[in-house]
Amino acid sequence: MKTKLLLLTLLLTLSAHFIVAQERGGGSAPARNPNPPTSPVSGSAANGKALYYDHGCYGCHGFNGETGRAFVGNWSSNLANEENFIRFLRARANVAPLTPSTSMPNFPENSLNDKQAKDIYAYIRTFKSNAPPVQNIPVLNEIVKAASRPYKP
Amino acid sequence: MPKSNSGSVNRRGFLKGAAASAAAGAAALVTNVETSEAQQRGGTGPGNGNGSGGAPPPTPDRVARDAGNVQPPAVTGRAVTRPGSDLMTQVLRDLGVEYVASNPGSSFEGLQESIINYGNPPNKMPEFITALHEESAVTMAHGYGKAEGKPMCALLHATIGIQHAAMSIYQAYYDRAPVLIIVGRDEGFIAAHTAHDMAGMVRSFTKWDAQPKTLEESLTAIQRAYNEAITPPCGPTLVVLDTELQKEEAKALKIPAYQPPRITGIESVQVREIAKGLIEAQNPRIAVGRLRTPQGVKAAVELAELVGASTSTAATNGPMSFPQRHPLCGPGFNTTYDYTLGLEAPAAQASITGPGLATLLNRDVTNIGFGGIAPGSGNRGGGGRGGRGAVAGAPALAITADAEASLPSIIEEVKRQLTADKRRAIQDRVTKHSEANQKARVEAITQAVEAKRAGWDASPVSTARVYSELWPLIMNEDWCLSSPSGFSGGHNAQLWDHNKPYSYLGGQGAGGMGYGAPASVGAALAAKSRGRIVINVQTDGDLNYAPGVLWTAVHHKLPMLTVMHNNRAWHQELMFVEYMCGVRGRGTDRGHIGTSLRDPFIDYAKMAAGYGMASEGPITDPKLLAAALKRGVESVKKGNPYLIDVVTQPR
Repeated sequence: MKTKLLLLTLLLTLSAHFIVAQERGGGSAPARNPNPPTSPVSGSAANGKALYYDHGCYGCHGFNGETGRAFVGNWSSNLANEENFIRFLRARANVAPLTPSTSMPNFPENSLNDKQAKDIYAYIRTFKSNAPPVQNIPVLNEIVKAASRPYKP
Repeated sequence: MPKSNSGSVNRRGFLKGAAASAAAGAAALVTNVETSEAQQRGGTGPGNGNGSGGAPPPTPDRVARDAGNVQPPAVTGRAVTRPGSDLMTQVLRDLGVEYVASNPGSSFEGLQESIINYGNPPNKMPEFITALHEESAVTMAHGYGKAEGKPMCALLHATIGIQHAAMSIYQAYYDRAPVLIIVGRDEGFIAAHTAHDMAGMVRSFTKWDAQPKTLEESLTAIQRAYNEAITPPCGPTLVVLDTELQKEEAKALKIPAYQPPRITGIESVQVREIAKGLIEAQNPRIAVGRLRTPQGVKAAVELAELVGASTSTAATNGPMSFPQRHPLCGPGFNTTYDYTLGLEAPAAQASITGPGLATLLNRDVTNIGFGGIAPGSGNRGGGGRGGRGAVAGAPALAITADAEASLPSIIEEVKRQLTADKRRAIQDRVTKHSEANQKARVEAITQAVEAKRAGWDASPVSTARVYSELWPLIMNEDWCLSSPSGFSGGHNAQLWDHNKPYSYLGGQGAGGMGYGAPASVGAALAAKSRGRIVINVQTDGDLNYAPGVLWTAVHHKLPMLTVMHNNRAWHQELMFVEYMCGVRGRGTDRGHIGTSLRDPFIDYAKMAAGYGMASEGPITDPKLLAAALKRGVESVKKGNPYLIDVVTQPR
């Protein structure tokens, strides 16, 4: 039992270090998955929608998770389940940057508690791609076609 | 350092002295003018203006004048038949200055009257452009200068006009944009509007200035200011013109002959070395940065075609670079280059780069030390990089000289050295490069559109969709993207073809907000007579600094389509503050305070309508976008500016 606890602690520590390293640009990028996670969701997406706006998540990830640093079609392992997500939110405490940053902020529990985090997670999990395939978007096909036109000074 | 001609000389005394030594008739005319002014001033002298603090209250005469209740002075006939300001206007005309943008001010009423009434036709070359803010006037000139590679004029009123314009002058300076600024000065009318050394307030971020003492000197100063503005490092220059000189009788004074600047290129030995390097290389490459004028771009194309070099371009970063879709532009068929020449760009073998802003540091007499220019200033922990002209890396041959001025001699030398065998090999290389670059372009576009479809049907509208929907509507037009696209995703860089020297005018210069719309108006002034349309993808925070420029676009019927990138925030700052809130653990839910534009949302279509501009929106449904853009493009093609408010994703 004690060994298992030690192993679990070690795993969690390594995992936290891995996340911090990612955010500080020190590690390899988290695994990406084009398909959304299938893990259980316990929060309220309706509450999460308001929190997603209030806490400025839309600022980097778009109102629908499709633009900017998009989730949709690009699901990070940090979003694999609620636990990963919460751990990721808390991973940048005690940072004192001198230079303005547009990196992922830290979200400590006193500003966004676990329940709220789960609500946001539930909302994020509702995101789906609204984008048709390129072949179904005439204007994008027109752009590709135009690229083949001869150059006219 | 070119010093201002200002000094302790009392100008009125100087004029009186000059008049005394001149012919009696001239003296009488000058005296007559001064008498008229004295009458209009109600007998008040310098220092009796409306200064604050201990200044006396306005006299009844002053109040009467301000209220428009003053009768004209009792004079018979025209006091001045050939005012000095007519000659000043003629100098601007001879220089090819198309526009003078200005917010009205009493210190240049003489010059303004000449611009709008002198010549046949009057108010053409230059045309007086009504600005609603001095900052807008200078930024218009900034945008025009980047589009055309030559100055238009901004006319400012005295101390207050200069200070209103200061940020935009600073920004044009950082951007090395040629801008000609004229400032009116009236020593006696309103004391708080005058100063001994008017240009001193902005000297450290202008390239050259003068405060001439005679009419003849004034004419020469305007010519020189023009020349200094277009000589690298290009930048804003400033001439202070006293109101008396504007109103002085010029009599038979002739306008001094204009001599264009002699901008020197590289030495002949370097010309031979570079020509040889390009010709003997098996796979030469030319890296093209930002040249000065369209003629420079044309010369760069000629050189690349002569030697069959593949090229890189900065056309997706700013103006005056190599055409992006030219068959030689791209990686080429072989990316192992054995000789690379940089034209205002770093390169491995030889780099010709014009002087940077650091060469103007002697004008910073108070050692303000602007970041990125002064040694030791700038980014935290880093030294100054000497402005955009600085060369990164260490090429074998790093030459500080103007690349554009160097090109004609390099081209001539290449032609001299080229043999028939070489020409055949070059032709073969050109064919291979063309095929490879075309293939690379199609691949890049194919990848790009796959990325741009993300959030295609999302509401608010994705910025990628804005640029994607715009491109087919303008690709067959002569267009100019005048607004910085960095805050809007920069999608033009991947999707659009930047083939003209003015296709994309790049960033603000010093990152100052309030740039997009006025710079676009300047670009649209350039476009108006050239059958071109201007696209301004306008960030919302930026527009709110001086939105009155929309009225200018309407009033002057400018072909400017404004598409709002309305993310309802100063979005970068929103992200910065969110980050700070987060790392300090004190609540990201308040990060919007001071960084967002909500409660209420601003209705930009209504704002534009208030200024008389055709407009529509806010559009949140992406399916409505294409039709709106089409209406907008059709409108601007007819010379009617148009604004579409699109509520967008943040980036």
